Amino acid sequence: MTADGRFPDPGTQSGQPLPALPAPAAESPAPAPAAESAASNGEWLRVHPASPFVRGWVALAAIAFFFGRDIFERSLQGRPVFEEELAGRAPLLLAGGGAVLLVTVLGFILTWYFTKYQVAGGYVRVNTGFLFRQQRQARLDRVQAIDIVQPLLARIFGLAELKFEVADAGESAVRLAYLKMDDARQLRATILARAAGVTTGTEDPGVAAPEAPEYPVLAVPPSRLVGSLLLSGQSVFVVAATVASVVLSAVTESSAFFLYLVPAVLGLAATYWNLFNKGYNFTAAISPDGIRLRYGLLDTQAQTLPPGRIQAVKITQPPLWRLLGWFRMQVNVAGYGLVENAGEGSARTTLLPVGTLPDVMNMLALVLPDPGTPQPAVVFGAGLTGLDFAGGFVTTPRRARWLAPLGWRRNGFAATDTALLLRSGRWWRQLVVVPHQRTQSIALHQGPLARLFRVADLVLHTTAGPVLPRLTQAGVDEARTLFDEQSARARLARKRQTAEQWLRQVAPAAAEAVPVAEPVRTTHQQEGGQHG
Amino acid sequence: MRTEAIDPPGIAWQRVSPRYITVRLVQWALGNLVAVLVLSLPLMLVLAGVWVWPPLWLAVTVPAVMLLVALWRLVLIPRQVRAIGYAERDDDLLIRTGIFFQRTMAVPYGRMQYVDISVGPVERGLGLCTLKLHTASPGTNAQIPGLPAAEGARLREQLAARGEARLAGL
Repeated sequence: MTADGRFPDPGTQSGQPLPALPAPAAESPAPAPAAESAASNGEWLRVHPASPFVRGWVALAAIAFFFGRDIFERSLQGRPVFEEELAGRAPLLLAGGGAVLLVTVLGFILTWYFTKYQVAGGYVRVNTGFLFRQQRQARLDRVQAIDIVQPLLARIFGLAELKFEVADAGESAVRLAYLKMDDARQLRATILARAAGVTTGTEDPGVAAPEAPEYPVLAVPPSRLVGSLLLSGQSVFVVAATVASVVLSAVTESSAFFLYLVPAVLGLAATYWNLFNKGYNFTAAISPDGIRLRYGLLDTQAQTLPPGRIQAVKITQPPLWRLLGWFRMQVNVAGYGLVENAGEGSARTTLLPVGTLPDVMNMLALVLPDPGTPQPAVVFGAGLTGLDFAGGFVTTPRRARWLAPLGWRRNGFAATDTALLLRSGRWWRQLVVVPHQRTQSIALHQGPLARLFRVADLVLHTTAGPVLPRLTQAGVDEARTLFDEQSARARLARKRQTAEQWLRQVAPAAAEAVPVAEPVRTTHQQEGGQHG
Repeated sequence: MRTEAIDPPGIAWQRVSPRYITVRLVQWALGNLVAVLVLSLPLMLVLAGVWVWPPLWLAVTVPAVMLLVALWRLVLIPRQVRAIGYAERDDDLLIRTGIFFQRTMAVPYGRMQYVDISVGPVERGLGLCTLKLHTASPGTNAQIPGLPAAEGARLREQLAARGEARLAGL
């Protein structure tokens, strides 16, 4: 590092900046004007100066609260701000308080000064800390997902946090907090373009990647979100608990039972609020960069899932949602499963909080552009709501019906050319879709009872997340055949899948000619590849 | 080894070393005998007249049941060790375990992120090692215990070489 804290740029080492080459039109996914940005030419940049204050406002608020409350109360009561015996030491106390404030603010400034980031040479590097320094670098072509997060306070100031998951880092996320909203979006476009292998990148510094165009796919109206919360399992619990406590109160003629409900009500209210806050204004869009998800009432979040980064999808339907034909979709994405905060994690792994059948089919078409079957609506429809052999599913054999008296007609699997579908649950319907090239390893399980009925379970291992693909109680012969075939299919799919840089797989010029809802992923796209 | 119902047909399973039974016996002794001894404490105290509760029958039953379970596990150990098998196929490694709760797992070479070899104190004394495979999935709990050290080293090199040749992204 040079004295001014910047790495010498390989292109400008002689002191003569190379003229920025005009990017050939074919290399950008959209003919948007190339913007000037310092972030893409390898300079070390700092985050927004206000960021430590936005992040550490709690500490400042605490200091203000402790000092302010006392003074406020005393002045309200008409007492002097300091007691008589302490009055002589007032300057000392003030100095002490001031010192605490000064140290905090100084800490903030130092934190800001020593936080720097750079995008260069296929890597993002982030330096943090002044006592314990940390340098984290992430390979751009391993970016699994990229989020722009705006907590309420940051939103007020027009700031945003950029967070990206990289598969090869042990620590999951690389965070940049906070940037100006426009800078964050620009940086996201740059990172995604580099990750996709669109631009020549490092060779033409100064030219940032234009933001890829995006097309809205669906939106969840707030009324449906509220409806889905009211029809959720915890609402049933609320009603049952209320009825029980009313009955108990009437029988025992004491009202004490309501007291037990207070903590439960508080907890449930928090859960409802969290789900509402996270699911509010949910929209999904598609761009050549991948799937864009936006949601949030107070804290907003914009997720980008590059094509082919989704490891597994789960579509569920609780019994009450069946009345209105709603489904929920959740995904496994490498890195998402390891999040520290459970509430945040569950929002991030939600692909669709609540949607109708056409919505589900639209999202499936985005996740799996090539369904690998000529009749996707039939096969996936049977997976969602069907029974028995409809849609080519293989279910639990009749001899094992006593192991799952309700579910045996539904527990089953179907394999298309590109994905394995695992179906289960008669009341709590569930369909798990795992693309063949995302299978990590496969295992067959058989316990003593299952051996008696000659059935076996098949487990597909994927990255950590809410989706645990498991085929329950398939016939032994079918399970063993599937075990072999699935190994072969996964092997073939891995061979077909080539680079991490998804746009490199097609000719760059073809990127513009791609149909709207079909993100560029593989070279063997089928006609009529849309679901539904 | 008898090929069980869920195993793919026509696989020549490699067995782990019979010396691994000793390792399992030591683990069994450390775990179960200590548990039985701890559960026998009330019995001794009751017999010595220090404790009035629990009644004698309960104080006898609990450690006796524990002892029976422990002996049952002891009897199973040699069969469990014999049931562990692995087979190197062209594109994946097969691992099978279990008698009552059987599991057969296929780990593709291209999916292996890294391969661990660990050696515990008892294993070291017997010249054994445990090989563990890691993929991007935490569900891949693939380990082959009780490998002779030379075989473990050979397998690790072999797996690393094959993984290198077939490595795929996530």
